[in-house]
Amino acid sequence: MFPLVSTTLFLPLVGAVLLVSLPGASARAAHAVGIAASGLALVGAALVWARGVPTGAGFSQVEQIAWIPSAGAAYRVGVDGISLPLVVLTALLFFVSLVFSARVRERARSYVALFLLLETACLGVFVALDAILFYVFFEVTLVGMYFVIAGWGYEERGRAALTFFIYTLLGSLPLLLAILALYLGSDPNTFDMRVLIADPPLSGLAATLALVAMLVTFFVKTPVFPVHTWLPLAHTEAPTAGSVILAGVLLKLGTYGLIRFALQMTPDTFHEAAPIVAAFGVFSALYGAFVALAQTDLKRLVAYTSVNHMGYVVLGVAVAAAATGAESRTLALDGAVLQMVSHGVVTGALFLLVGMLQDRAHTREMGDFGGLLRVVPVLGWSFVLAAFASLGLPGLAHFPAEFQIFLGTLGVYPAAVVVVLGIAVTAGLYLRAIQRVFLGGARGRWSGMKDLSRREVLAAAPLLLLAVLIGVAPSLVLGVIHAATVALP
Amino acid sequence: MIALLQGMGDGMQDTGTSMARDLSLLAPEIAVVLTAVGALVFEMLRLPRAALPFTVIGLLVATGLTVPLIGTETVVFSGTFRVDPLSEWAKLALLPATVLCAVLAHPEVKDTDREGTVHALFSFTALGALVLAGAGDLMFVVLGVLLSSLGSFALAAYPRDDRATEGAMKFLVFGSVTSAVMIFGLTYLYGATGSTLLSELGRLEGTPLAAAVGLVAVLVGLGYKAAIAPFHFWAPDAYDGAPVSVAAFLSVVPKVGAIFALAQVARELPAPAGPFGWPLVIAALAALSMTYGNLAALVQEDVVRLLAYSSISQSGYFLLGVVALGKTDLALPSLAVFALAYAATNVGAFAVVAGHGRTLRDLAGLGRYAPWAGGAMVVFLISLVGIPPTAGFVGKLLLFGAAIGSGYAWLAVIAILNSVLSLAVYLRVVVPMYGTPKEARTAGLPVVAAWVVSLILVLAVGLAALGLLGAIA
Repeated sequence: MFPLVSTTLFLPLVGAVLLVSLPGASARAAHAVGIAASGLALVGAALVWARGVPTGAGFSQVEQIAWIPSAGAAYRVGVDGISLPLVVLTALLFFVSLVFSARVRERARSYVALFLLLETACLGVFVALDAILFYVFFEVTLVGMYFVIAGWGYEERGRAALTFFIYTLLGSLPLLLAILALYLGSDPNTFDMRVLIADPPLSGLAATLALVAMLVTFFVKTPVFPVHTWLPLAHTEAPTAGSVILAGVLLKLGTYGLIRFALQMTPDTFHEAAPIVAAFGVFSALYGAFVALAQTDLKRLVAYTSVNHMGYVVLGVAVAAAATGAESRTLALDGAVLQMVSHGVVTGALFLLVGMLQDRAHTREMGDFGGLLRVVPVLGWSFVLAAFASLGLPGLAHFPAEFQIFLGTLGVYPAAVVVVLGIAVTAGLYLRAIQRVFLGGARGRWSGMKDLSRREVLAAAPLLLLAVLIGVAPSLVLGVIHAATVALP
Repeated sequence: MIALLQGMGDGMQDTGTSMARDLSLLAPEIAVVLTAVGALVFEMLRLPRAALPFTVIGLLVATGLTVPLIGTETVVFSGTFRVDPLSEWAKLALLPATVLCAVLAHPEVKDTDREGTVHALFSFTALGALVLAGAGDLMFVVLGVLLSSLGSFALAAYPRDDRATEGAMKFLVFGSVTSAVMIFGLTYLYGATGSTLLSELGRLEGTPLAAAVGLVAVLVGLGYKAAIAPFHFWAPDAYDGAPVSVAAFLSVVPKVGAIFALAQVARELPAPAGPFGWPLVIAALAALSMTYGNLAALVQEDVVRLLAYSSISQSGYFLLGVVALGKTDLALPSLAVFALAYAATNVGAFAVVAGHGRTLRDLAGLGRYAPWAGGAMVVFLISLVGIPPTAGFVGKLLLFGAAIGSGYAWLAVIAILNSVLSLAVYLRVVVPMYGTPKEARTAGLPVVAAWVVSLILVLAVGLAALGLLGAIA
């Protein structure tokens, strides 16, 4: 069978190498290569989706090359119902980011090459079936994102990039220890994630330490209070497309790892630790919502709502770990995975729209705006739609996901349902943001603002359409997710 | 060479066939001796220009002669010298590194008097490191330290200006004292075991005091050679005063040789009965060296000094593999792979420094005006941190695995915290590289060749390391 997963994985890298080896390429040519490579990767991801995943059969479409059988290391990639939606999401977000970035003229060749490298790394994390391969891709995303922020960010980009790199590296190195512990604990020693999942090798103290190490890594990445402090800084200084990728894809690496490693490779220990993890999730969701309420900078506001939404995902995973009944476990896990996809789509759209606003106004302070809905109706209504999706309005992407998470939570931790308060707060803050920026009387200084260009519509429209589609027909995605979650022991 | 002659002397007692066998197993070392002597002859014939090509070819031949030996595990000359994975991989890592340093030295020593001796000294010092890496006898440890030290002193003093003289003087005094301490302490080991063979060190079981004195002596002597804290004081000044190529050489070749000699000694030591014993001492040195090296590197403005302190911290990482010896199968492969990774990475980083300036200010804007050199430097620095997909990552992965596998998980945790600290160190170099250029400098062909080869090695070892592992284990 044609190695579709590997082709999709390495297409962006081929584009990046092509760009690096064409020293004279113009900005235009660089963007053309970038859009073509990420577009082809999107087609590849869509074809992988079309091939589908069988229900309850673990990983499928597996492609592997033995490296050295004696050390249990190999190049192994494949997808299941949990990773497949994230692969498609990643390919889509990179495609729209590169379409949106087509106006970048400053060192365009390096910019596009870095994004393509980052795309291969992100896809790699989701399709890797070898723990070392997973870790390699996981770390390469850091290097790529560091240079994106440091090279094309706003005023304080140096400090933000440094904080991001050091913080997340500190976060991710414990995972390396956990992977080594899993490797040394398995018999025969192997890095094959399928084996580690089918037969979790650790128990007792070793499993507890490994779980703690993994939680540190994935909490920093997700991010969960109190290790979220790198996020607002990185987001405010990152270029728009960088923020889209950071929020849409990189945060998912944390929750994806939480499911793939912590939940699947140390299930018993996670079951015991679930109340603590759930408490972190609840607190993080509420904290994110309340801090977002206090923001006046539109981009920081969106950044903090990410902390809120990812808190729900963490709660969903913890509930799935704690649940004794198959039904509430599947319910919560389905919700958690769908929430990752919804958050990627909706927050990606929000960051794009905020970036478009900033390109026009060169400010993100909500107090400076007013009445923009009349001046730039397409931008305005798009933002309203995305904001409604983000606050969890029924019929839009977040609703089915959050609904399932809460339903699952109700069965396991009834007290944790206070987290619903977060929805009320986000609703309030988004309504206030819409009111201050887009409603009211138009200010004179913005009267000349241009509405969205064709390129910008092209970038934002797919995400908005998807936000509606997932809201109206969540079963399209849930069917795939369910194929994997139903089989979890 | 002295070492070799003595080895030959021992060999005489054996039969003719075993002599021939021993010499054929030592073919790479013999090639290194001939290379060194040849370079010296060219210098004497007043053809110093020929010394470099001769050195390059000779050392590459020596590397080639090592390849068929891979997988051999035996001893020669009555057990005094070992042809085992440690000594084989030391040759495969250090001889190419010496070649790169010699090439790198070309622009720095060109048209000075005694140009040819530099290359001869490189070969002699490399030979000393190889003698250390294959030592099977206490006398070989001493000979290796002396041989590599004598060459190193002269190399460090080569520029003959104040800074070089001061650095080399410190180096000489420090080296003489520590070597004397080592030789003094080794007499206790000899007295307690009745043999100078390392394989007889197991007899130390009943004599803890002699064992302790002897171990301390070995640690002092080899710790100085490997620039492990607290025996590192000479290193920053000696590197700083020396030509950049010599600093690159000193930070790689004698260091790896000394670490491997320590491994040869440690693998023969009896395992301690309780939780305290030699592994704990080495683990403590590892923690100290990693932490001190990184903290000191954090405040350097001169990139050569920064890399000097970073190499002190990298010595600490090496010790993770030494601690794990005998307790896990990962120990030897981790040392070998990390040696390859470290050699390629460090030589590459020094090569970029040699080409584009030695202070942080000089490197400003490097990534903009010379994107390839800047990109290569970034790869070298992230390899020093241990971030994938570089060689440094694989090396450290194996070292961490070895430490955890031998029950030293706490040491692995310290190592990881140090990796984060080291990221802060190396980012201090990366950040100005993407700032505004002060002045663009063009690097000469030898420098470019050195970092291009290093870059290829760093990436190749990174991507193929697990395959390499099969060959080592």
